[in-house]
Amino acid sequence: MDTSNQAAFISRIRSALGHSSHQRRPANGLFTSRPTSEINRILERIKNRSHAERQQLLGRLIEMAEPINLNVVVLKDPPAVTAALADLIRDKDPEWGHQKSVVTWAHPLIESLNLSGALADQNVPVYITELKESDADEKFGEKERERLRKHIVDSYIGVTSADFCMAETASLVMRTRPGQARSVSLVPSIHIAVIHLNQIIADLKELYALIQWDTESSREGLTNCMTFISGPSKTADVEATMVHGAHGPREVYIYVVTDS
Amino acid sequence: MSEITNADYIAEAKKALNDPVLQNALADLQARFGRGTALAYRNLPEGPDLRLKAHEIRAKTIENLDVVLETLAENVRKNGGHVFFAYDTQAALDYCLATARRHKVKLAVKGKSMVSEEIGLNTALIEDGIEVAETDLGEYIIQLAGERPSHIIAPAIHKSRKDIGKLFADKIGIPYTDDPPSLTRAARKALREKFLAAGIGFSGCNIACAETGHIATVSNEGNIRMATTMPKVHVAIMGMERVAARLEDHDVLLRLLCRGAAAQNMGTYVSYVGGPRYLQQADGPDEFHLVILDNGRSRILADEEFREMLYCIRCAACLNVCPVYGKIGGHAYGHPYSGPVGAVVMPLLAGINRSKDLCQGETLCGACQDACSVNIDIPRMLLALRAKLADGDANWQVSRASIPEKGIYILWSWIIQNRRVYELFLRLAALGQCLLPKNRELIRRLPPPMSGWTRDRDIQPVAERSFMDRWRSGDID
Repeated sequence: MDTSNQAAFISRIRSALGHSSHQRRPANGLFTSRPTSEINRILERIKNRSHAERQQLLGRLIEMAEPINLNVVVLKDPPAVTAALADLIRDKDPEWGHQKSVVTWAHPLIESLNLSGALADQNVPVYITELKESDADEKFGEKERERLRKHIVDSYIGVTSADFCMAETASLVMRTRPGQARSVSLVPSIHIAVIHLNQIIADLKELYALIQWDTESSREGLTNCMTFISGPSKTADVEATMVHGAHGPREVYIYVVTDS
Repeated sequence: MSEITNADYIAEAKKALNDPVLQNALADLQARFGRGTALAYRNLPEGPDLRLKAHEIRAKTIENLDVVLETLAENVRKNGGHVFFAYDTQAALDYCLATARRHKVKLAVKGKSMVSEEIGLNTALIEDGIEVAETDLGEYIIQLAGERPSHIIAPAIHKSRKDIGKLFADKIGIPYTDDPPSLTRAARKALREKFLAAGIGFSGCNIACAETGHIATVSNEGNIRMATTMPKVHVAIMGMERVAARLEDHDVLLRLLCRGAAAQNMGTYVSYVGGPRYLQQADGPDEFHLVILDNGRSRILADEEFREMLYCIRCAACLNVCPVYGKIGGHAYGHPYSGPVGAVVMPLLAGINRSKDLCQGETLCGACQDACSVNIDIPRMLLALRAKLADGDANWQVSRASIPEKGIYILWSWIIQNRRVYELFLRLAALGQCLLPKNRELIRRLPPPMSGWTRDRDIQPVAERSFMDRWRSGDID
């Protein structure tokens, strides 16, 4: 990596700011080095959230989702999700081509839905975006990734979970992991995210506190790609008329499982 | 600055004023977004004062930009990404082209990015034999039409649905329709093929985060996610000021950005990208490159009078309230930045003399500052630019815009400082104006060289007797 231009670039900035151009300056308090008392309070609040408070957040999520055309469906347990998904797949037609197929993350909650079994009678194949161990190798992985990519492009419904869901902005938060391809929430015409009630948090403040300072959530950090999804893809570029489904999914559903 | 074309401001403005479609579109845009954004600020839990906090955050970041950028670069590299610091347009283009050539790219897709307009990325790619597809629907329309964006967030605001219908029938061969959903669907289909075939995806960066080593991009359409997920290589280009030190700064800046841009609580898609795909991941780019661009920004940084302009996060809220932008639209400003932000940034980037009409055309009404998501004092800087044009400035290589104007002001200043001369001037003016054509007490036309004043408006005549004269003779109660 050529860093010679970096040195010149940065020293130009230093002299523009009136500092000596050669000496690297310390980062005095510019970055967060430990959680502030406010952050600790936020983490405490999340940890001690009662069931009633979680229900309240769910209410807020539903309220904020409505104006952005995001469908929130509250369901008791995984079997209820499976039934709802099977109905949806029966009702909805594919946008491109005729064959219905579904692509999902490799994720414990999604696996517990047993989708391939539930969709067998409809003749709808279910693909999982997981690379096999031996395929992770650069040489063999390429072909396997091409195969998965084709399934994602051909599928009209993508099923994911999420890390969190922010009620205040009705936003799903997804980090990137093996088995959980990012294009599952992007390329299919309909995106369904299945989450637990206790994954709902209030807002950005809570999210950033969690992924930076919560013992468990901070381990992975932001990962190499963290995405917020707030509703279906939309555009208003033709005479300011709102149209859904510009490039991403035309419809987005959040299935919230309330049983714990 | 290959792509910056200082169009003839006056001619372009006239054209815009005589275009009824554009006038309606601009009025509609401002009525909705201008008011919507103000309301969205008021509905913040912290209220509109959050903008002041954002101003402080931006000030602190810019004052420490060297440390913040070094940290950003270090962390992006730690995540496996490449970082390139580009001093100017040429360096940035060379890097982008070299990256594309190395991967033998034939087709590039681009998420909406103003800085790529600034460096003329499209032209450079096309000259190199690489097809490039704009993927934001507005940008795609503009690209098909061979035009330039006229608004930072709504680039095709100047085109009617009929224009777009004809354009699509002509260029992508669909039967004519002027139905927005059908047009959007046609573009969705055409661009989906591009996303899947492209070898490289270019994006901008709304705000990077130094301490985590990520860039953040915001879009409603999903085109940026497509362009940065599907191709094998992702190149993000950012102006060097588009960075925050801490993740918690993003809480404030992101909320304000989305409200300023489109009166939204949150854009549909926000993506933090910090490096290439890990080995075991099924998708995402194999390579991630971040190009950090100076291109005249360090010069703005060095001048404390204009440093504040680097706080801008390009939400375009100022365009949606500006009475001048609301009438003349984006094209008159010369590209790529228009409206109040353009009226300050363009002279500083492209030359103050060359872009003088931009800062002189604004009204100084202050609406832009009230709408600004980070509360930048744009009117102050417009005035500072005008002062440089009036007196010349060696630092910025500004020559006096008008020597006769300066002469007139020196003369005027002498007149008003000498009571007798001033009174003589008033008396002569009161007598002289009898010869001028009038309409309902107002003077219709002044003789040259003042005729420009009365070309589009009438002027109040000088009173027959001055106030002081009436005061002295006791005619005032």
